[in-house]
Amino acid sequence: MTVSSQRGGPDAASARVAAVSVTARARPSGWFRTQTSRRLGFGYLLLAPAILYVLLLVGVPFLFSLYLAMSDANVGDPVASFVGLENFRAALESDVFYLALRNSILFTVVSAVLKGFLGTTLAFLLLQPFWGRKFIRGLVVIPFTLPISISVLSWKWMYDSQFSVINWFLSRIGLIGAYGSPDWPVWLGQPYWAIAACILVNVWRTFPFSAIVLLAGFTSVPNEVLDAARVDGTTFMQRFRHVVVPMIAPILLIGFLFDTVFTLSDLSIVYLLTQGGPANATKILPVLAYQVGIQSGALGRGAAISLFLFPLLLPLMILMLRNLRRREI
Amino acid sequence: MTDSQLLLTGHASVSRRRFLKVTGTGVTGASLLTMLQARQAPAQIKGTTLRILQWSHFIPAYDAWYDKFAKEWGDKNGVKVRVDHIPHLDIPARMAAEFAAGAGHDIIYNGSSILTRLYYKNLVDLTDVADTAGKKYGGWIPAAKSLVEVEGRWHGLPIFYILAPMLYRKDLFDANNLKYPDTWELARVSARTLKPKGHPTGIALSQCADANLFWRSMFFSFGGTEADPSGANPTLDSKELREFLKFAKAIFDEGMTPEVFSWDDASDNRYLASGVACWVHDAISAYRTTEDTNPPVFKNTFLALEPQGLPGKRVSVAAPNVWMVWKFSKNQQAAKEFLAHLIDNDLEGMVQSRGYNMPYLNDRYKKPMPVIGTDPKLQILQDFPKIVAFYGYPGPSTTPIQEIVNTFIFPDMVTRVCRGKESLEDSIKWGVGEYRRIYAKHKQA
Repeated sequence: MTVSSQRGGPDAASARVAAVSVTARARPSGWFRTQTSRRLGFGYLLLAPAILYVLLLVGVPFLFSLYLAMSDANVGDPVASFVGLENFRAALESDVFYLALRNSILFTVVSAVLKGFLGTTLAFLLLQPFWGRKFIRGLVVIPFTLPISISVLSWKWMYDSQFSVINWFLSRIGLIGAYGSPDWPVWLGQPYWAIAACILVNVWRTFPFSAIVLLAGFTSVPNEVLDAARVDGTTFMQRFRHVVVPMIAPILLIGFLFDTVFTLSDLSIVYLLTQGGPANATKILPVLAYQVGIQSGALGRGAAISLFLFPLLLPLMILMLRNLRRREI
Repeated sequence: MTDSQLLLTGHASVSRRRFLKVTGTGVTGASLLTMLQARQAPAQIKGTTLRILQWSHFIPAYDAWYDKFAKEWGDKNGVKVRVDHIPHLDIPARMAAEFAAGAGHDIIYNGSSILTRLYYKNLVDLTDVADTAGKKYGGWIPAAKSLVEVEGRWHGLPIFYILAPMLYRKDLFDANNLKYPDTWELARVSARTLKPKGHPTGIALSQCADANLFWRSMFFSFGGTEADPSGANPTLDSKELREFLKFAKAIFDEGMTPEVFSWDDASDNRYLASGVACWVHDAISAYRTTEDTNPPVFKNTFLALEPQGLPGKRVSVAAPNVWMVWKFSKNQQAAKEFLAHLIDNDLEGMVQSRGYNMPYLNDRYKKPMPVIGTDPKLQILQDFPKIVAFYGYPGPSTTPIQEIVNTFIFPDMVTRVCRGKESLEDSIKWGVGEYRRIYAKHKQA
């Protein structure tokens, strides 16, 4: 140990390394010719399209919406002035905004729970060997592949206040009275039924996706591991909770992440079924943002309303991605 | 020498640039006026392309006619015409996209939601076309200019609007000794009488265009107004509003069912066609649907003028339709020519739409009008132009009114009252508060 190192300073060996690195830094052209730099450069080159894609299609629109949210932009005027947080304040002054925020959270959480339950059940059912399994697996994804406008309009017809096939069926089997009786449900007319009806369409449309994601996860769990758990005397629920779920957690988390983002930003179902009515009972943030920003032309306020989704999603995303990273390590 | 220099020096001399500018504008304007009057397309438009964005009409036959009509005009004038049809609810989004891109269609259609005031700086001034048509056909009906006039210039051309009369079941009315619904009070009495007999009435109380239109008709007929004549200030908060809302609550409780909370724009058509409704307040699409699907009910379905709220006060809020031309259009001249030709043929459009499209020009109301003048039950529609109004009555269709319409504030306020979960004053406080908030935001912007 040298004197300098005893005093906390660099020793001679460190000084030599530093000198070498300084020399190396002084000749960058040499470093660029090394095998390592070429491999690194090639790696970044391969990554470049993905980075460019994310920057152009995610980063730029996000920054642009931030700019819009802090301006008085409207659809008919290309020149906008900076208004700071005024548009966010305007949103917070409106009762309709709070209703839309509450409904967005309710819509996303209830949908996620139902999709998780139904998706898991369906995935287990599709895992079992039975005649026509491949055909059934193909059938279950139909709701997900149908154009959303067509499927939602079909549901709208099923929820019709007068000709609802659901009501007529329930009436025929004696569960509700005839058309015109007080217990005849008006699915899209009563606030709680209306939001439940919208959630049901979302669940019907996307739970097959959850099931397929889970199915892919379940099939990746080695049979040996499950057999070993069985030998140890575990029940089905114990195997599911302590063996299957931890093993497919990354798939589950990514699936959940996608589903949350898609559900929270889903405009079509509510817009086509109710446009947010009756009296804003089904209004969600994307619908309100569209009505204010595009239909009414107040782009700045519309962008601010839609950006309220961001602080809702961001902590969730960070938590899930951090959890995912820990599992990978 | 610039114009300002000319002013400062007081010289009366005219620069070469100014001379060319003034004479050029004059010659162009004069030739356009001559062409518009002579209805002869100029040679310059030959070989050009005209792109039109159009809604999908409720009457498909109209779309078929319109496409053929546009093509024939194009063939005659050497212009390649392309017509695209999209649902009218998608038009605001498409318009925003085209404006942002600075490219798209030359002519763009607005239905129900008229966005002239949002885009007027970017729309071609069509005052010359409007003036020519006005002179030729006895002037425009009073409500027309409120849709398109901004700062004294017309930035769009209203070509037709859609009326909403009362459609009632004469057989049910006669069987129960009810007077036909010439006033809202009579309409209420009939609904109160017929609902217990299985024939309620209904006006949509949901977030759809019908709810925006028809409850306003009732409100305005009760003497209420939405904004002052300049359109600058909301005038919702009034004793007329209170009277109207009390009446709305009564007519809902006595004559309607909760089904109206879930209705879309076609629900009342089905309600009438199914034989359930004693009356509906709707466009004649309900009449046509009934004609096509239930002839016995159709036989007994009659039309009435907009009911009076206050004695002698009838205001019928109609769904407007307007055509505009983008400033970025490279074929503005052909666009103007085509629109002038479309106005000349608006009566043919009325025929093709089975009487659905009502013209905005006074001379078109010479009786008998096509389709509606020859059908005894529809003849009453010929008397509507004097009582027609649009959103924002008696003011113009301003940007705050568009936001109020697009966010369904007015029908939501009525819904809150009819649901009865809060007091009348609380519902008014909410509605008036939303109006003031939106007006304040637009003033600030």
